[in-house]
Amino acid sequence: MNSQEFRSNLLLKRPRYAKSRIPVLDAFSEKGSKTVDYSRFGPYYEIYIYAMMLGIKNKKRLPLPPRDLTKDFIEIGKWKRDSSLVDFLLMVIFTKTDELAIDWNELEDLEESELSNIISKIVTLIEEYANGGLEYLEELWEKGELDSSHYMFIDLYKDIRKE
Amino acid sequence: MASIINSLSFKNFFNYYGDYDQTEYEFKEGVNIIVADNGAGKSKFFNAFLWLFYDDVLDSDDKKRKAVKDFAVKIISDKAKNETEIGESVEAGIKLEYSTGRYKFQIVKSFTATRIGEKISDNESWQVIMNDIEIDKTDHILPKYKPVYDADEKHRIINQLILPTLRQYSFFQGEEVDKMIDFTKKSSIEDAVRTLTNISKYEDIAKIVEDIEARAYKDLNKQTKQKESHNDRLEDALKKRDELKTSIGQENEKLEIQKESYTKAQEEYELLDAKYANASKRKELDEKISSKNRTLKGANEDYQKFLEGINNRFFDGNFSWISLGFENVVEDFKNKISSFRAARYEKRTLLQVAESPNDYFTILPSNSPDAVTLQQMIEKEHCYVCGTDAPKGSEPYNHLLKLKNRPNDSSSKKEFVKNNLEDFFSGLQLNASPFLNKFESIPQSVLRTKEKELELKKRLDKLSSELKALKSQRKDLLVTSNQDEDSDPREVINQFKNAIKRMESASGRIERLDNNLKDLKAQLSATEKEITSLRPKDIPEGYSLNYEIAQDLVDATKKAKERVFDKMVSLLENHANEHFQNLIKYNDIKGGVLNFDKSPSGGISLDYIDEAGNEVSGASEGFQRMKKFAVVMAIISANTSNYNYPLLADAPLSAFGKAFNKGFFEAIPNVFPQSIILVKDLYDKDSESKLTDLGAKLVKDENIQTFYLNEVDGELAQIERTTKIERRK
Repeated sequence: MNSQEFRSNLLLKRPRYAKSRIPVLDAFSEKGSKTVDYSRFGPYYEIYIYAMMLGIKNKKRLPLPPRDLTKDFIEIGKWKRDSSLVDFLLMVIFTKTDELAIDWNELEDLEESELSNIISKIVTLIEEYANGGLEYLEELWEKGELDSSHYMFIDLYKDIRKE
Repeated sequence: MASIINSLSFKNFFNYYGDYDQTEYEFKEGVNIIVADNGAGKSKFFNAFLWLFYDDVLDSDDKKRKAVKDFAVKIISDKAKNETEIGESVEAGIKLEYSTGRYKFQIVKSFTATRIGEKISDNESWQVIMNDIEIDKTDHILPKYKPVYDADEKHRIINQLILPTLRQYSFFQGEEVDKMIDFTKKSSIEDAVRTLTNISKYEDIAKIVEDIEARAYKDLNKQTKQKESHNDRLEDALKKRDELKTSIGQENEKLEIQKESYTKAQEEYELLDAKYANASKRKELDEKISSKNRTLKGANEDYQKFLEGINNRFFDGNFSWISLGFENVVEDFKNKISSFRAARYEKRTLLQVAESPNDYFTILPSNSPDAVTLQQMIEKEHCYVCGTDAPKGSEPYNHLLKLKNRPNDSSSKKEFVKNNLEDFFSGLQLNASPFLNKFESIPQSVLRTKEKELELKKRLDKLSSELKALKSQRKDLLVTSNQDEDSDPREVINQFKNAIKRMESASGRIERLDNNLKDLKAQLSATEKEITSLRPKDIPEGYSLNYEIAQDLVDATKKAKERVFDKMVSLLENHANEHFQNLIKYNDIKGGVLNFDKSPSGGISLDYIDEAGNEVSGASEGFQRMKKFAVVMAIISANTSNYNYPLLADAPLSAFGKAFNKGFFEAIPNVFPQSIILVKDLYDKDSESKLTDLGAKLVKDENIQTFYLNEVDGELAQIERTTKIERRK
């Protein structure tokens, strides 16, 4: 697998989320919510990315339930197309070598199937952090601790300690 | 002696809740002021007089007058209604006391309502009985009230407060001044002159002398015909005279018709004038409103878009909010990629060494040749190091070649890993760069975003308040002109223009008819001279003398009437100017005069002429009203005797302007022995004294005799509301 193939294999992945998170995803994205109680993101992937980064900031990984209780959505490569965003996110993910138990150099020597496993691990990491972030949001939401300002997300994001 | 209102009190009359002694105004001769904000009893005060004079009240919803007996349930204070149990009764009424030189009168008009139903605002829930008007009379010398029973006398006492013919000059609410004085309408000035002069007597005389003239003429002709000496020429002249008379009569009839149509067109013009100004203002406002609406819509869209875009700033490389707090990733990644590169370099080198150790361990002796020398040696086929020839193809030659090409070998890279991810990792770092250099500026960027939002919101608020102001202006226009919301301003504009056109064409015809008449009259006069010379000389002198004298009398009375009329008009003009100058004393518009101009139909138009003799038009509404008010005051003051009645006015001071107010309060005592002025513009709810600066000043003004401030607690529910009357002076 060369760099190109590795990248496209990764970008073709569709991360999943627990079906139980649909209400919170809906509440904070334009796609889902009909009433505008809170500030919202546009498409699902935005709230998903935000949740993932929240999860990372909070160091909160939360495994997803079994596969039939989850749903997938658009592939990573289609998140904010033609943008640097995904590269930045992958940069963040690939620094998590301890959690992923990988060594970049070792990756280069893996068999194709092993490398595919690594890709799966990466996706799982993304999913678990997103799940962790979503849970955090959901808790705040249920407790009514979310500010209904237009700046709710950035304020929340700012207040969390640095990575 | 003048009628002076001593007091006015209310019982459960609209928001004037409570018995008469709880809601009482006392007034004095001179100027009395009542300050009340909207809804604080101003129009109710007027309603008391409408009830007193006409048994009506004004329904503030549709601005139409309604009979008290039909409107009774609405008249009773809601608080009073609410406190009345089913089966019980409540009374509502007004009580007024006024004095003339010798007597004092107390008038009470009231009704009693018995509650028979649950819903207090339903007419069906109440049984209303109108009470008899109670009037008591007392002598100033022997103050003992005696009831008046006689209906005619009651009527007379009410009328004496302000005579019906003069009420229009004495009793009005702001905008009514406009409607009241319409000097372009012929009858309006005539009415005023008739009220003020004995001009109708001149008209009676004119009729009598015309009769005399006709008879004298008949007698003269009878005499003429009895004489033998009369001839055909005289007969012809007489015939001609009759024809001319008929023609003149016909032309006069035509003239009357034209004058009438002129007057009609002018009335319409007057009626539409306000509406036209209104309609064109409305049209202008409509255009402004619709353009403002568009701007507002655009601004709103911008704002919504901006709000929706706020979270987008997380993911947009220009803002990169998502990177906030991930500063360490940059360093971490940099370290990782450099050790990654170092490791793989090492690995590659080791691999290459293992594969072809000679390439890496060909040790050149000291003083080894450099690349240029090597090249020379190859070209010369000679090794300078060992001093031997190295012919092409020989081993030493090949060795030289190998030495020279050594670095090139390493470029023929071989894949040394299964998955070359170097490009992948470098690519990430390279592509992600927009997100890697904004950490520091993100807090600032969030702040700027908030500022930008505030800016947009401010713009939006400004636009919507501007729109609101325009809409309320438009609504005010509709209210002042009693127009429907839906009426098309363009229609009014067309009607208005049409009225002007008709006025112009009637005026042209009047001019032609006037010329015709002049011509005919000249012919008539020539014919009459002819007749005189043709008449037989032996007619008794008395007959022709009679006729001549009668003719002179007709002329004289006509002229006298005109003179009286003109004199009165010029008197009014003088008085009006005097008052006007007083009213605008403190204004900077100086030097101009009010000019009464005759219109073709005989009406009077009122213009304001500046020093250069040009008509000043387009002046403010307040100015226009002040102008007419000066005329009203003139009508009153031109009367030779003093005006004996109070002025009751709702003064739209804001329309007058500050400088007018001062002049206004100084000028009215000159004309009205007593005035009660209701104003809202002096009220200032934020000020401690609840009065504006001017209000506070007026309290101290020696011209002002009493000063009241009304307040209604708007916070309370309607069924709790009462009007509190606070006397400040």
